[in-house]
Amino acid sequence: MKVAFFLSIAILSLLASWSSSSPSVSFLGIAPQDENYFRKETIKCRNGSRKFTKAQLNDDFCDCLDGTDEPGTSACPEGKFYCRNVGHLPTSLYSSMVNDGICDCCDGSDEYDGKVKCRNTCWEAGKKARDKLQKLIDMYREGVTIRKREVEQAKEAISKDKAELSVLKAEEKSLDKLVNQLKVRKEQIEKAEGKEQLEKDNEDRSNADVEENFETTEASGKEDSLTSEDDVIGLVEQDESKSEHEDTNVAEDGSESIEDMSKEEIGRLVASRWTGERTGQVEETGSGADSNEGKDGSLNKPSDGDSKTNAYDHHQSSITDDLDSSSVVHEPGLDKQTQFLGFTIHIQSWLRKMQDVSQNLLRSVSWFSSPLDNLDADKIREEYKESTARLSSAQERISSLTEKLKHDLGVDGEFYTLYGQCFETKQDKYVYKICPFKEAVQEEGQYHKTQLGYWEKFEESYSAMLFSNGAGCWNGPRRSIKVKLRCGLKTELTDVDEPSRCEYLAVLSTPLGCLDGKLKELEGKLEMLQKEKPEGHDEL
Amino acid sequence: MASRIGGCRRPFLLLFLLSLASQTAFSWKKDEFRNCNQTPFCKRARSRKPGYCTLIADQVSISDGLLTAKLIPRPIPNQAEGEEDHQQIAKPLLLSVAIYQGGILRLKIDEDPTLDPPKTRFQVPEVVVSEFDETMLWLSRVSTETLDGDSAPSSVVYLSDGYEAVLRHDPFELYVRDKSSKSRLVSLNSHQLFDFEELRVKNEGEEWEERFKGHTDIRPYGPQSISFDVSFYGAEFVSGLPEHATSLALKPTKGPGADDSEPYRLFNLDVFEYLHESPFGLYGSIPLMIALGKSGKTSGFFWLNSAEMQIDVLAEGWNADSGLSLPSDQKRIDTLWMSEAGIVDAFFFAGAGPKDVVSQYTAVTGKPAMPQHFATAYHQCRWNYRDEEDVENVDAKFDEHDIPYDVLWLDIEHTDGKRYMTWDSVMFPHPEEMQKKLAAKGRHMVTIVDPHIKRDDNYYIHKEASEKGYYVKDSSGKDFDGWCWPGSSSYLDVLSPEVRSWFSDKFGFDSYKGSTPSLYIWNDMNEPSVFNGPEISMPRDALHFGGVEHRELHNAYGYFYHMATSNGLVKRGDGKDRPFVLSRAFFAGTQRFGSVWTGDNTADWDHLRASVPMILTLGLSGISFSGADVGGFFGNPEPELLVRWYQLGAFYPFFRAHAHQDTKRREPWLFGERNTKLIRQAIHVRYMLLPYFYTVFRESNTTGLPIMRPLWMEFPSDEATFNNDEAFMVGSSLLVQGIYTERAKHVSVYLPGKELWYDLLSGSQYKGSQTHKLVALEDRIPAFQRAGTIIPRKDRYRRSSTQMVNDPYTLVIALNSSRAAEGELYIDDGKSFEFLQGAYIHRRFVFSNGKLTSLDLTPNNKKSKFTSQTVIERIILLGYSPGPKNALIKPGNEKVEVGLGPLVFETGLGSSSLVVTIRKPSLPVDKDWTVELV
Repeated sequence: MKVAFFLSIAILSLLASWSSSSPSVSFLGIAPQDENYFRKETIKCRNGSRKFTKAQLNDDFCDCLDGTDEPGTSACPEGKFYCRNVGHLPTSLYSSMVNDGICDCCDGSDEYDGKVKCRNTCWEAGKKARDKLQKLIDMYREGVTIRKREVEQAKEAISKDKAELSVLKAEEKSLDKLVNQLKVRKEQIEKAEGKEQLEKDNEDRSNADVEENFETTEASGKEDSLTSEDDVIGLVEQDESKSEHEDTNVAEDGSESIEDMSKEEIGRLVASRWTGERTGQVEETGSGADSNEGKDGSLNKPSDGDSKTNAYDHHQSSITDDLDSSSVVHEPGLDKQTQFLGFTIHIQSWLRKMQDVSQNLLRSVSWFSSPLDNLDADKIREEYKESTARLSSAQERISSLTEKLKHDLGVDGEFYTLYGQCFETKQDKYVYKICPFKEAVQEEGQYHKTQLGYWEKFEESYSAMLFSNGAGCWNGPRRSIKVKLRCGLKTELTDVDEPSRCEYLAVLSTPLGCLDGKLKELEGKLEMLQKEKPEGHDEL
Repeated sequence: MASRIGGCRRPFLLLFLLSLASQTAFSWKKDEFRNCNQTPFCKRARSRKPGYCTLIADQVSISDGLLTAKLIPRPIPNQAEGEEDHQQIAKPLLLSVAIYQGGILRLKIDEDPTLDPPKTRFQVPEVVVSEFDETMLWLSRVSTETLDGDSAPSSVVYLSDGYEAVLRHDPFELYVRDKSSKSRLVSLNSHQLFDFEELRVKNEGEEWEERFKGHTDIRPYGPQSISFDVSFYGAEFVSGLPEHATSLALKPTKGPGADDSEPYRLFNLDVFEYLHESPFGLYGSIPLMIALGKSGKTSGFFWLNSAEMQIDVLAEGWNADSGLSLPSDQKRIDTLWMSEAGIVDAFFFAGAGPKDVVSQYTAVTGKPAMPQHFATAYHQCRWNYRDEEDVENVDAKFDEHDIPYDVLWLDIEHTDGKRYMTWDSVMFPHPEEMQKKLAAKGRHMVTIVDPHIKRDDNYYIHKEASEKGYYVKDSSGKDFDGWCWPGSSSYLDVLSPEVRSWFSDKFGFDSYKGSTPSLYIWNDMNEPSVFNGPEISMPRDALHFGGVEHRELHNAYGYFYHMATSNGLVKRGDGKDRPFVLSRAFFAGTQRFGSVWTGDNTADWDHLRASVPMILTLGLSGISFSGADVGGFFGNPEPELLVRWYQLGAFYPFFRAHAHQDTKRREPWLFGERNTKLIRQAIHVRYMLLPYFYTVFRESNTTGLPIMRPLWMEFPSDEATFNNDEAFMVGSSLLVQGIYTERAKHVSVYLPGKELWYDLLSGSQYKGSQTHKLVALEDRIPAFQRAGTIIPRKDRYRRSSTQMVNDPYTLVIALNSSRAAEGELYIDDGKSFEFLQGAYIHRRFVFSNGKLTSLDLTPNNKKSKFTSQTVIERIILLGYSPGPKNALIKPGNEKVEVGLGPLVFETGLGSSSLVVTIRKPSLPVDKDWTVELV
């Protein structure tokens, strides 16, 4: 009964303080556009469950489960309280916040039972919000323009790439043919030379040996390197299985091993069960050792690493070996691209010329003249070598272009500009490096590198990039990072956070994040804010 | 960290760690802990046969109000040739029996101090409360009788109106029996397994050292264990002995059908990833056993001893070949108790019902502290909330999602390098401001303070503690140095009152920098956990205050640490602010200092299920304020498991969500809208019931009864409840049944007693003494209000319980078959100790003959007063057929409207059917009144 009394006093005092345009008491907490709904004598609960009388509206007793009858009190847990917040944006509060002693609406209308006094802060807060919003809009406007430009550039670049690719593919064919011809010719020459050599054999055996050696090396050069790589992989596997074997030994005989350890080691070991800290460290060292530290590295490789991923990683790291530490890093691959662009432009004339030379050469070298004209044979060899090199670089270029173009580069291909770039930011002792379409890593010092994830996809309609399947976490998931795109005039990596262990979150501010739709939304919001301007106040 | 490891060892260690990493995910390290066979005293005691004991009670007499005797070896006049003469003891032992009010017997057996023992054996101090000593009955009379077949007499003394205690002289045996029927209730040494290893001086060449996993225990006093058998007569099952992850009714561990089992071990240990079903010792120990028989006859046995203890529950037929005969007309459960050290200081509780036994036990060890109101609400924890921004975000999200919570917790990472009572200056540069921001919303914060102290001379606590010699010493007398979170650490010797007092001063606001009045404390790792110690704990030969060996004290170390912390918070608030301290380790009496939780559980359904018997057992053992980590500490719960855990956890006395740092974030809003709603509803149910919970907390505070109770505590004569540890009561009015399986379609729930039960949220009626197969609903677990009860609620949710103080109450009256019901409501200021002076409101509501009456339960001689402006806004009647349109309130003769309304105020919860509601009676909660339906 006393509360009811309090309430009426509070409401009376509220009435006194409100201007004529304010809602009447019974309409407390109701949005102006909803007031008509409550004007009848009998009102329906919005969920249709039952009806209540006008006297039951805001009588501080919950009749409708959905809170229809108590928009202005805390009586119904599901009720919503509307604050007009003149001078700022109107908001809707949970009824749990009405008369709870905490000022939630900037106009203070949610606290009317007299327990606390809330200052009306809507004008200040509104002005701040409007200014902030205006700044944001200004940035968006500029950003949207930059974005448009970048989209155009990207489109152009993509079509250029596509054109280049089709040219390259055609040329690959002819080059391939030419190389084959040269090869046949070269082999014939070499056969002839071989015969001659045989005759000379007795005279100069050692000399022949040298030549033969040389040839073998040359012919199987490429294969050789492959084999050696295979060997290396084999070695790694051997090492791994060996270490696994040792593991089991240790595990089987754990007790003895513990006794061999110092007290401190045991302490650390036991602590690591909960933290996984050192186990984690080991893995990190492992990924860090990718930069070719050999045996140690193989020993420390994450045991369940996907071999495909590892291979990819290996390949990639060889490219990224020597990156400088500026915040935007162009990969060496990009330089290659520029080189290649020149190549494409001149390719046809060059090719024709080369074909001419070769044809001439092929014709001019006499088949049966003996002794062979050394000069001609050398020329053939040289031509062969050169065209093989050309072919393989053309092929390399084709595959890199194909790789690039197969990516999802956005609705308008706008993310083309991010391809091949990396963005860095330093936080605490770590440097985070995000390379869109490729990978994300965390570096600590020079040698400590943790893979946060490999490129997976865009998410949330191109507003976030996801890198997943990074280095494993103790007792947890493999690391992953989500990079949210935010509108900014420069492309730079800002925040990096680890909200959940081993799940990172970063923000990349970039003009690509400045969407026209969002700009319109912001402009609409500002317009609304300005509309709410109370009379008697002027923005200036 | 790794770089500090010695160079040559590193590769080996790495390998070792790798292998560890692959194992850790699966289970606890069984090999790291001793089993009974690796524990000499346990192995010896367990292998003895009935009839082993040859002691008799000699010189039985009454002295100083006690029944006293000497235990001496039985003289053997005609010893047969070749028969081994095992002299059990070299010097007589002193025995005394004391009787206390309310049916409590205390038996002490110790070495005779006048016979010059090498050392005084340890008696655990400060567990038995001083008020208990005052209830001793001064014995003046002993009668003797000679039992059938005995050659020697037995001495009989009064125990209570229904029971007497019998000391049989030869063979020595002590038991409690019914006065009139002479049938036994509980007995000691009926199987003559009693053994008491007296302290000796080491003989030349004797090997006393014990080795385990590279640790050597020098055992300077040699073997000193004690063991004996205890029998419970008429018992259907026994319960108790926390802490184990096992069923409420303790399964046999020895005898037919239980051959491979270990005994129940009581040895406080930090067990990594404990199993959900095992007799293995966990973080705390209470050597209390409660036996329940048909028609609810209950007895209890408590051995006050803080050394390692192992207890066997013996399966029927375990002694088939012993040849000893006990009264055969009584069903019986035999148990074997073994302890490494200490004395016999045992309490027999004569019941007669389960509530009586708990009340008797808590008369000895103290009633549970009355918590602050906020502590009974929802707690949000995680290892770790990383920085101030994280804290702010999490706090804001609760508001954004309209989910109430009261306490935000900070785990070890908030400190400066695990130096407790300091702050990481980068992550938490403004701790006071942070706490004040929370406090402005009525929220509190808890920080962790562990007993290991970083050995760093620049750390003020270490500096002072080492200078003052306040650390536990190793066997050589140097400060014990063990490894824990901060690295090399020492441990405060909290057995010493001086050290405790010094340490408790450290919680003062001037000492604990960055602490504010809204900050409370969490004690973890106080078993104590020592990462490089034997069994991840402290060596048994470490030395404490007064030359006490760690082996004698071990299980009470955490208890004394908890005590010091709790006292620190009382001091901090000038004795005006109730402390809140959560502890992982516990011992008998812990209930006086705060709450406990069940430690590092795992996010799986088995652990969800195991949490119920674990909390029930704690409650039976006095620790009524306990809970399990909601969601499971290790691992990532599926959303369904998390939701079910919240639904169950909302009924735990201590309701806290917690998670390991390597788990995914799992705050309530991270699992999609639907799950957010489900979790919000579960938390809302708790907040709605807070007035009821707080009333039950007060009941616990005065009587010792648990908050969360086995069904058989409320329905002791209903045998169908004896094996039920999946459902439980909250107080005496609410029954809750968890859902413990994934994608459950149905759930069976047994509702005891003759009366009806009303679904807590829909009001549907269910018959008692039946198992009901219910459809498993997504949005809640089955919960019922018992017919004949009145539950007070608050139906407005707020950010935290703090803002609910002035919100009006709802009374839910569930009518029984005689259309009557009763219930209580307790209110105080929720914070101070003023309630001890009578500053509280305590009402009894009685409904009968269509009239609800509010009666005052507060005593007349109150020194202090508490008033409240709050009113009852709504009265709901379940089981009342609609009819009356009005209700008449007296005094005042005001008429209020009676109509139909919802039972709960949340869409989706409950049902759409409406219940009889007295609308806006606006009854003052602190006044006498009646409401009559007319």
